[in-house]
Amino acid sequence: MSSFAGLSTALSSLIAQRQALEVAGQNVANANTPGYTRQRADMVSVESLSAPTMFSTKVGAGVGVKVTNVARLGDVFLDARLRSETATSSFSSAQARSLSRLESTLSEPADTGVAASLQAFWAGWQDVANNPQDPAARKVLVGTAGALTTQLASGHRAVETQWDQARTETRTLTTEVNTTAAAVAHLNEQIRSVLVSGGSANELMDQRDLHITRLAGLVGAAARPRDDGTVDVMVGGNALVRGVSVNAIEAQGSYTMAGATAGPSPDPVRLVWANTGTRVELQGGTLSSHLAVLAPATDGGTLARAAASYDDVARTLHDAVNALHRSGYTTTGATGLDFFTLDATRPPALGLSVAVTSDDVAAGGDPTALGPFDGSVADALSRIGASSGGPDALWRDFVVDVGVRTRTAEQRANVTEAARATAENLRLSQTSVDLDEETISMLAYQRAYEGAARVLTVIDEMLDVLINRTGVVGR
Amino acid sequence: MISRVTHQTVQRSTLANLQLNLSRMSDLQGRLSGGKVITKPSDDPAGTAGAMRLRSDLRATEQFARNAADGIGWLNTVDSALNASLASLRRARDLTVQGASSGSLGPTSREAIAIELEGIRDALLDQANTTYLGRSVFAGTSDAGSAFVQGTYDWTGAPSGSVQRRLAPDTTVRADSDGRVAFGEGAASVFALLDGIAADLRSGTDVGPRLAELDTRMTAMLGELADVGSRYNQVMTRQGQIDKAVMDLKGQLSAVEDIDLAEVLVELQSQEVAYQAALGATARVLQPSLLDFLR
Repeated sequence: MSSFAGLSTALSSLIAQRQALEVAGQNVANANTPGYTRQRADMVSVESLSAPTMFSTKVGAGVGVKVTNVARLGDVFLDARLRSETATSSFSSAQARSLSRLESTLSEPADTGVAASLQAFWAGWQDVANNPQDPAARKVLVGTAGALTTQLASGHRAVETQWDQARTETRTLTTEVNTTAAAVAHLNEQIRSVLVSGGSANELMDQRDLHITRLAGLVGAAARPRDDGTVDVMVGGNALVRGVSVNAIEAQGSYTMAGATAGPSPDPVRLVWANTGTRVELQGGTLSSHLAVLAPATDGGTLARAAASYDDVARTLHDAVNALHRSGYTTTGATGLDFFTLDATRPPALGLSVAVTSDDVAAGGDPTALGPFDGSVADALSRIGASSGGPDALWRDFVVDVGVRTRTAEQRANVTEAARATAENLRLSQTSVDLDEETISMLAYQRAYEGAARVLTVIDEMLDVLINRTGVVGR
Repeated sequence: MISRVTHQTVQRSTLANLQLNLSRMSDLQGRLSGGKVITKPSDDPAGTAGAMRLRSDLRATEQFARNAADGIGWLNTVDSALNASLASLRRARDLTVQGASSGSLGPTSREAIAIELEGIRDALLDQANTTYLGRSVFAGTSDAGSAFVQGTYDWTGAPSGSVQRRLAPDTTVRADSDGRVAFGEGAASVFALLDGIAADLRSGTDVGPRLAELDTRMTAMLGELADVGSRYNQVMTRQGQIDKAVMDLKGQLSAVEDIDLAEVLVELQSQEVAYQAALGATARVLQPSLLDFLR
């Protein structure tokens, strides 16, 4: 062993401690960076050189230390768990959001909702039944009927507006999925080339993990690491990202609610792989919730069902009122009149309008038998509100149904969010930087650096004795 | 699994807890300021169903109260018209008795009685044509303007027409009176009868036999009055019940929808304490660091 070997041992320590200190500095610098995974310099002692002969043995201490690797202290299993929980929780919270928005457009229970308008309408018929000769009562009735049809139409329109917004969001989110997937593929490429040249790509991996978790929240993506350091991103069993290539997805289907959910052959909104045109089978994520919200009523689409409920109320109102009203007579003896009319080209809730003027309200029965000022038909009409299959009952069922589903969705969103928070906490407790720990590491590296410097001094002094003091005996 | 605790995890969980506390506070404050437990259906779907049903019942019952008030107006009018008619009829009977009993009356006296009887006939016709809010109460569904035609005494009402007021989901009460029963119709009417008596008096015919006819008419009128009275009673009773039902429904609605002020205030108070405790804990946990203790 060379006399100077000790110097290089001390030097290796100086270098290694400084590198480790730099890693600790990087950790401290990124203590609050989202997605940053803490790192650690892996140090390995360097063993002494062995003589290249068969029976030679190693003599003496090793020759120092080296940093072999800057380890990234992540955990792929915790990452996977966080992603699957993120997918579930994004789906549930998107569902809860859209239902609670739908619920807010109902404005029930209140004195201003559709239920209140229906009740005012039936009460208006009672007033007409009491005073069939009074034009004021009939005018009030026709006015209330107009307010009711407007309210049904605006409720239906609010549902359509929500549908349109969800449709636009679907397109935006699809674009986001594609750009994020492209970013993952690009990072894969960079990471692979860095790793091939023996470098450290920890920061790139952090970024990639963030992107993949975002994809999990959007489309329920799962990651599948490969040996070359790249990661495949799978959606519903198919690769969204494979190595450095991306399979883009696109949203297809009508841009109008009527086109996507109504008619004999609706054109529902769906996600397909851009290259093959086959459907993407989503397993969670915000986009999956959007597709469920946008689906036709037969597939359980939230908004389509809500619109259908408005239509049901409007149609039932039209049929029940007209059936009785046609049998009634106006004060001038006219009969067979429709009270409401439906525009067949539009959804019933939008196409419903009042067909009569206040002079044509048929409140009475046959005038020859019952007299021109009879109010029996108006009285019978006012009883529709209390009938079991009437518009009031339909509306109440719809409101309660939305209420129950919103409540369930909110509870589920809370539960899945708690699970996601737990998973994130577990991941964070593994990956996040602890400043106390880093301070202690810095302390340790600093001391080791000082120690190595002292070793250097000692050897230097030893060599000084050897070089400068040897051979001066008796001088 | 003993998880590693870092500043970031502490910070996160503290923030999450503070958020939770604050959102509960805001929920309670919203309830307190709004005064309602149910502000949207999902707050309590079952309660919402109940509240909506109660609201619709309340609206319907309030309408029944309006109907009852209207019905009372009609029946009052009918009642006072019949009472006035009965008084007139009694006077007519007295006059008829007077005309019948003394054959010694001279033509002048008979003429005077006949004129008064005609006056009573006009008064009766006025009563019979009483209107309420522009409608004849003795021919409720008629649009003729008067229940009995001047001269012919024809009844203008429809044969089976009646004015009904709905006082409950399955109860209606008749609010008008059938003029044919109370006054008779055409030649058989009380007006024609009085005309006949006046003519008899003028021509010197004995009007004694006419008394029986007058009594028949009076009995019919009394019967109708009793009928109207019983209906009036029915509506009054029903009105009391309706008022009570409205109170009950409002109470039930309030029980379903409105907050219990004391309960919410106590909850808010304890939530405030919890929030302050969480803030205090945050201040202590996030403050210290190892750096404070090194050199």
